Amino acid sequence: MLRGRFLLGTAGYPSPRVLHDAIVAARAEVVTVGLNRTLAMASDNGFVAMILQTLRETGARLLPNTAGCFSAREAVQLACMARELYDTPWIKLEVVGDEHTLQPDPFELLVAAAQLVRDGFTVFFYCTDDLVTCRRLLDAGCPWLMPWGALIGSGQGLLNPYALRVLRERLPEATLIIDAGIGTPSHAALAMEMGYDAVLLNSAVAHARDPVSMARAFRLAIEAGRTARRAGIIATQDFAVPSTPVGGEPLLLGAAP
Amino acid sequence: MTDDRTMTITLHGQPSELTEGTPLAALVASLGHAQSAAATAVNGVFVARGDREACVSQRGDAVLLVQPITGG
Repeated sequence: MLRGRFLLGTAGYPSPRVLHDAIVAARAEVVTVGLNRTLAMASDNGFVAMILQTLRETGARLLPNTAGCFSAREAVQLACMARELYDTPWIKLEVVGDEHTLQPDPFELLVAAAQLVRDGFTVFFYCTDDLVTCRRLLDAGCPWLMPWGALIGSGQGLLNPYALRVLRERLPEATLIIDAGIGTPSHAALAMEMGYDAVLLNSAVAHARDPVSMARAFRLAIEAGRTARRAGIIATQDFAVPSTPVGGEPLLLGAAP
Repeated sequence: MTDDRTMTITLHGQPSELTEGTPLAALVASLGHAQSAAATAVNGVFVARGDREACVSQRGDAVLLVQPITGG
């Protein structure tokens, strides 16, 4: 269902035009959006209108989230609202279990997942890198897992590469997307080299001094990481393995045959 | 003098006065939203756009209304 490898968040950009240009530069196939739960009628300065216009230009798809939910019931309610408002069955399911780290609550995620899958949603789970939790989420019936690399907005990269490698190894059929914590293009490249299917990020682009250039940098890094993965990355060795063959016949440049 | 047809609901957790019998669609409109520009829930349960006219607010209802916004 996903062709592209780059999912881009839309929050925190300096202007709607910069957001538009960043989505284009990223060649993002999917862009995430949220739900405003305040009563304020204040204008959003045209950001949402610009997102919709950009999607018409690029063919990218919307992925609404349930950010800020603390219970399955709340998340299900918001997912239904998002489906109507954005006219898509796709939902990035976020249920927070800890306010300080915004760590996902696996138990509430499972409850919400069962309900949402029954109701016909395509659920993308924002989850931790815990293998068994991920297995249980897959059992709910949607093969889209989005384990965190690090805490949301932290830019710390892939804090637990071992756990992420285990996930990739043990869940070969799942679509695995690193979501959250990515700070630099090299983090994204590493995720792709590890065999992840895609990367979702927001702050690293939106808060860069030049978001459009950073979006392009991430696109290139993601492509490089993916290409490297497919090309076959060599195994690491504990000791030197000479790359220059020094044995056998000498090669004399310019010598007569 | 208080209109005895006035009742209190909560709107995003804040008390709000409303006339008895007001449909949810009218509440959405009174807040300045086009029906297609907002999604609604009452007492934690989603109310679809097409059901708002028939959804008459009751005393003490908790109403939530959301709009599109940027997000990560």
